[in-house]
Amino acid sequence: MMPETVRCAWMYHDIMDLYGDKGNIMTLTARAERRGITFEAVPVGIGQEADLSEFDMVFMGGGADKEQMALIPDLLSRKKNIKKALDEHTFFLLICGGYQLFGQYYETADHNKIEGLGLLDFYTETGKGKTRCIGNIVIDADLDGKTLRLIGFENHGGQTLNVSSPLGKVVKGSGNAFDAGFEGYYDGRILGTYLHGPLLPKNGELADFVLSKAIAKRNPGFKLEDLAPLNNPYEKEARKALLDRFSLSELQ
Amino acid sequence: MSILSVLSAKASSALLSLAGRGGSMPGSIALKLDPDSLKKLKFRGPVILVTGTNGKTSTANMISSLFEAAGKTVVTNRKGDNLKAGITSALLKAAKLNGTIDADAVVLEVDELNIRHVLPVLPVSALVVTNFFRDQLDRAREMEQLIESIEGVLPPFEGTLILNGNDPNTLRLQLKAPKSPTVSFGLEENRYSSKDTTEASEGKFCPVCAHRLEYDYYQYSHIGKFHCPNCGFQTPELDVSLEDIDLDHQTFKYDGVRYKGPYEGMYSMYNYAAVLAVAKKFGLPAEAFRKMLANAPHPAGRNEKFRQGEREVILNLIKNPTGANEVMKVIEKDPRRKAVVIVLNDREQDGTDVSWIYDTRFEKFMNKQTQCVICSGLRYGDMALRMDYGGYTGELLMEPSVESAVAQALEKADTVYVAATYTALLPSRAAIEKEIAK
Repeated sequence: MMPETVRCAWMYHDIMDLYGDKGNIMTLTARAERRGITFEAVPVGIGQEADLSEFDMVFMGGGADKEQMALIPDLLSRKKNIKKALDEHTFFLLICGGYQLFGQYYETADHNKIEGLGLLDFYTETGKGKTRCIGNIVIDADLDGKTLRLIGFENHGGQTLNVSSPLGKVVKGSGNAFDAGFEGYYDGRILGTYLHGPLLPKNGELADFVLSKAIAKRNPGFKLEDLAPLNNPYEKEARKALLDRFSLSELQ
Repeated sequence: MSILSVLSAKASSALLSLAGRGGSMPGSIALKLDPDSLKKLKFRGPVILVTGTNGKTSTANMISSLFEAAGKTVVTNRKGDNLKAGITSALLKAAKLNGTIDADAVVLEVDELNIRHVLPVLPVSALVVTNFFRDQLDRAREMEQLIESIEGVLPPFEGTLILNGNDPNTLRLQLKAPKSPTVSFGLEENRYSSKDTTEASEGKFCPVCAHRLEYDYYQYSHIGKFHCPNCGFQTPELDVSLEDIDLDHQTFKYDGVRYKGPYEGMYSMYNYAAVLAVAKKFGLPAEAFRKMLANAPHPAGRNEKFRQGEREVILNLIKNPTGANEVMKVIEKDPRRKAVVIVLNDREQDGTDVSWIYDTRFEKFMNKQTQCVICSGLRYGDMALRMDYGGYTGELLMEPSVESAVAQALEKADTVYVAATYTALLPSRAAIEKEIAK
């Protein structure tokens, strides 16, 4: 039942790598390997032919405004293939810019409106007077009925609105927009979030959840519980440092 | 110049010095009394601003010392007080009551985001830019916005731009300054140059036309000889170019003469090149440059060495991936058995976002010479997690107390490298000095 490999398309890995987003791939790789699974991250760059539906998961991080512009035509040209991948249960993990680009549009800091993939209903406007949501953030995410307390760092000018199905409730920080109360997007097939940090090292259980969703593509019915638990003493301390600061604790 | 604001800055500066403070406070007071304080000052020599992500303190200090070595008097903000109020303090302290700065040259280190406030209000003769890298993005926003804030004040600028010709992010400034001549500096291809880069890099796309840039070679990160195959934007014929770099002996050649510098690493070579470009622009003799290098003080937290018998501790400041990567290379190069202590804080001055540790190649020293890694500071858990997920399989310890971390490291190996973020630097030095006599 346990798969030998997980194959991940790493979209625009050399452009969308702001704020240590490559740490997410490092974490998935290490946590898969510690279960005897090979995690294969295949970079997919501009102009590079790839059938995303053949991958178990797709990862796309965030980039700087200007550099991000360079990949938009390429991304839009893949829309049909992305739809196919979603229909065939390839799991999508999207951070920051990657998250925004799956919506209707996003507005840059200098008020250019950039067309997104339009696969999801939300859209992203720019913060008033170039203000940004910046700081440590804690959210309680609802993942197929399981609640995980996630810790990260948010840094975004974009105010993402009209999110029908958020990832979780904000415990500390801003979320999708100033005082949004909710953070990210999750619908079972796509997980989008503003959380950097990077996201996965400090949220090992979420990393496992992502692995389980990816594995489920070729092993229908595969669940988070099917992965052997993995306790990381360093993760515990890293989380504690921030939770203590906000007088919070782990969920029981 | 309003005599009142000069007087008040001088008076408050004197009072604050008595009270053991100083820094930017007198400048803040002067700016409140007269927001145009800086505009009204008079200068009798060149005014040189130094900015950039890495190396601005070292470079500004070397430029000041260069003028002094040439027998000139210099006013500078040497304490690293590089925001507008700090700069105002330094200048007003040196001003006579009629508003004249009594010095042959003024050399100011200016924070990148403050160039837009400082450049328009001073008669700047030269703006020196070392490089632009990702640095504490949570404070400075994305690098692009930072560069644009400088470009915004360049159109009327008539002074000289002294720019790193190997950094596309820096060289692009000349395109926004039509009235300004450029003196470019950089390094010739050398034995350390490589055809590709694995480090976090910003210079992937042409700042003029957004086409992907091509590199003949990289010196480090995105610094190297580049050209845009689409629009032709490229490393120019360099006005000042260092040759025959030898990082082991910290030597280089310029104009046929070999020099030995006090600082390690490729990034220091660029700082020397920037200083030589200033010497060229202002006609200062090579002898002054040599004298300056010979007398340069070793800056705190830059390969600062503490020795006692067989034991040696080497302290380094780490603050962003590019600077930190250079430190990692120095650790990697040292063949001795060693322990490494990393002290990671996330206070305002460190940058509250610690994600940059994932853009830093700590993997460099994951080898058999490294006996043990001890993670300390406010975010010790994050640092240990980074080492773990980076594939470090040696002994990995977490120790919130810097003092205990340094003491434990010295029990593990005679050679200890301590890498600390900004606010962790002084506590780290104190911890080292407690264990070892300098």
